[in-house]
Amino acid sequence: MTTTQERNPPATVAARRRRWEWPQRLRKDWWIYVFLLPTIIGYGTYTIYPLLASWWFAFLDWPGFATSGTFIGIENFERLLEDDLFWNAFWNSIVFLVVAVPLRVGLALALAILLNRKKTPFKGFFRTLFFLPVVTTGAIVGVVFTLLLDAGGPVSLSMVASGLLDSPANFAADAGTSLYAGIAVWVWKWLGITLIYWLAALQTIPQGVHEAAMIDGAGAWAEFRRVTMPLLVPFLVIITLIDTVAALNVFDLMQTLTGGGPSFSSEVIEIYIFRTAFQATVPQLGYASAAAVLFGLLTMALAVAQALGFRWARSRIGSA
Amino acid sequence: MGPHRRILGARPDAASVGRHGISRRQFVGGTGAGLLAAALAGCTGGGQLARESQNAAGPGGALQWWDQFRPLTKMLENDLFAPYKKEHPGVTITRRQMDTPDLGQALQVARRSNQMPDVHSIAGLGGISPAALVSEKWFQPIGKLADFEGSPVSDLLYDGIHRFDGEIYTVPPFSARWHDAVPWFNTALIKEAGVDPEESPATWDKLREVARRITQKTAGDVYGIVVPSKDTEYLQFLVHRLAMTAGAPGAIDWATGKYVFDSQPYIDAIEFLVSLQTDKIVHPASASMGARDARARWAAGQAAIYPWGAWFIGGLRVDEPEAVERGVGVWHIPCPETTRNFVYNPPQPGMLWVSSQSKQAKTAAEIMLRMTTKEFQLKLAAAMDQPPALAEVVAEADVHPAYKRCVDYFQDDVRISPSPEVGNPGVWQVLAEMRDIHPNLGDIVQSVLTGSTSDIAGELKRFNDAISAERERAIKVVREEKGAKVDLNAWIFANWDPKADYDQQAYAGR
Repeated sequence: MTTTQERNPPATVAARRRRWEWPQRLRKDWWIYVFLLPTIIGYGTYTIYPLLASWWFAFLDWPGFATSGTFIGIENFERLLEDDLFWNAFWNSIVFLVVAVPLRVGLALALAILLNRKKTPFKGFFRTLFFLPVVTTGAIVGVVFTLLLDAGGPVSLSMVASGLLDSPANFAADAGTSLYAGIAVWVWKWLGITLIYWLAALQTIPQGVHEAAMIDGAGAWAEFRRVTMPLLVPFLVIITLIDTVAALNVFDLMQTLTGGGPSFSSEVIEIYIFRTAFQATVPQLGYASAAAVLFGLLTMALAVAQALGFRWARSRIGSA
Repeated sequence: MGPHRRILGARPDAASVGRHGISRRQFVGGTGAGLLAAALAGCTGGGQLARESQNAAGPGGALQWWDQFRPLTKMLENDLFAPYKKEHPGVTITRRQMDTPDLGQALQVARRSNQMPDVHSIAGLGGISPAALVSEKWFQPIGKLADFEGSPVSDLLYDGIHRFDGEIYTVPPFSARWHDAVPWFNTALIKEAGVDPEESPATWDKLREVARRITQKTAGDVYGIVVPSKDTEYLQFLVHRLAMTAGAPGAIDWATGKYVFDSQPYIDAIEFLVSLQTDKIVHPASASMGARDARARWAAGQAAIYPWGAWFIGGLRVDEPEAVERGVGVWHIPCPETTRNFVYNPPQPGMLWVSSQSKQAKTAAEIMLRMTTKEFQLKLAAAMDQPPALAEVVAEADVHPAYKRCVDYFQDDVRISPSPEVGNPGVWQVLAEMRDIHPNLGDIVQSVLTGSTSDIAGELKRFNDAISAERERAIKVVREEKGAKVDLNAWIFANWDPKADYDQQAYAGR
């Protein structure tokens, strides 16, 4: 410690000065903090506290009807690791993520490019049209699509009429298709907001860059691949991140569309947690919290593994 | 930018309103803080405790009431609350009707935040034993606050269901003689298909034949029957009832105390549902429907028969009254053979309970006592929900003839089964300790009907073995850790007669 202080005396003095400055700044600008207070209280109460509380609850045996739980250590986590339905929900969530996010990001980009072209007619109309589902409540969309996707619905009937199906199908109520029906509806519902992100991103590219590419003889595809896309990469990262977070928040849609069924085929982790916490014969709050915590940890582990794998692949390509 | 910087006060002295006055910055800050404080002080919102509003309302007080009985909304307001409030001018009653799952969540959250309503139903709490909730001090006794022992329903009060440690906590406003697989039918479609609405199809095969005829002989896309399969709970109850008509005593064989989910009647019941589907006489969108969705489709004339509870017609009258006008009828629940078997129900539990946090227990008890009078039971019958506790009043109540017939059929078809919780108070501890097993009966039926599995016997056997093992584990835990005096014998009722009600005397003679 002494050595460090001797080495960096100016830094220590500066730190001390900052410490003294803090109460003075608080006294002088107190009203700023008063205005911040509602946000701090709201964020603390509705984000930080539930987050920390769920970690604590994960170590409790807490039947929902009791006012408090009993500390049982890591027993909930041990049970979860052996719970087939937890793993089923975990993989369903991962499949949802892996299929839905690229689909939403890719489709929205394609549409954004089309709607960003000067030659495209009725651009405003189409932008509004694609954005409309975004402002519709997820639960309502779920209910409406239950009707649209059932065996008597227009989707099934038109597929039968066109020869794509032999007999009517319940897309949202068939174990083989229910998860993918949920993905399709989710992509449809949220496509508009990703489209707006992409349109904003495309409009940051100066027109001169496109013109320069054209003068250099680049075709549409070459221009997109070598000029537009590299400039969009920073946006791609952000948009993918936003959509990934959104793909883990699909409770309202999936609960109303499929209820996680049939046979748990579309049960994503949020429905699993909800079912365990509120719909069990004896609601298990501790177990449900442990599921949420474990899912968070596993998702983080997957993300880190993916990032490391990506870095390793890039270094391999670089060295080759 | 220059003027703006000065106005916003980059330097405090620059924005000074006067030499000795406060700075503009301080003025804005102070005003904002004051407004914020005022807003926070005035913001009681949803967090306002019922008890605080009660105190503010004076000696009569405000009573908060939560339940899930949508068809009873008008009747409760007009025939229960309004007369009571008229006689007790200081009393206000605020009722909130919620869907069952929402009610369950709201109660759990309210309990933990000390914002429980004074009176509430326990629907939506996942079928937890009321005894477990009593032990956790959710409720307070009401037996000494009103004369329930002298009420017309006093014979229907059971230890372990309504009475705990000698104290009455609740009363059953509804009868136990009901089931939820009543074949309700659209009279217009039935007649169009040339089926006699007066003659109940006595057997499963007859019902199948009737449904097939309706599908074939009616115009347009009309199907014989609708079996909503999105909701596994509905399927579970339906198969329970069908298995009982095939001779099952229910999920437990009262002679041995063992679970019998893997017995032949359960297999037959599921196979019967599959046969309806194979015949293409079930509405093809059934798999996407919940129970209420199916009722709406039935009301729209898309299917002719819908097996559900007595409340079907009460709900129709609220949400789809035109379907009642068009014509609705009811049959006996069919059995596999012409020999009639019975459907079993345990004693009817209390629907409404008084929160231990309530300061309005006497008012709540008095209102609940009124629910047991003949006058109120007549009104309750008129709402055509579950049959009232005094089922005989239905004959003179202002109800649809089909509802009257439905309740009459219950007298023929339903018998009261034993309840292990009445026989041994330790049973609720076992039930509270037991964890859910999945796939359960409803999950299995859903899997079969949606084509995810065809191994009915195998799936039922796995479930039966798993739930039996879970009960044994739970018994071991409560015996060893909680000292409960309970074993498998608590589920044995050797003197059970399948043809008779298992009444209060039968428990004494076990």
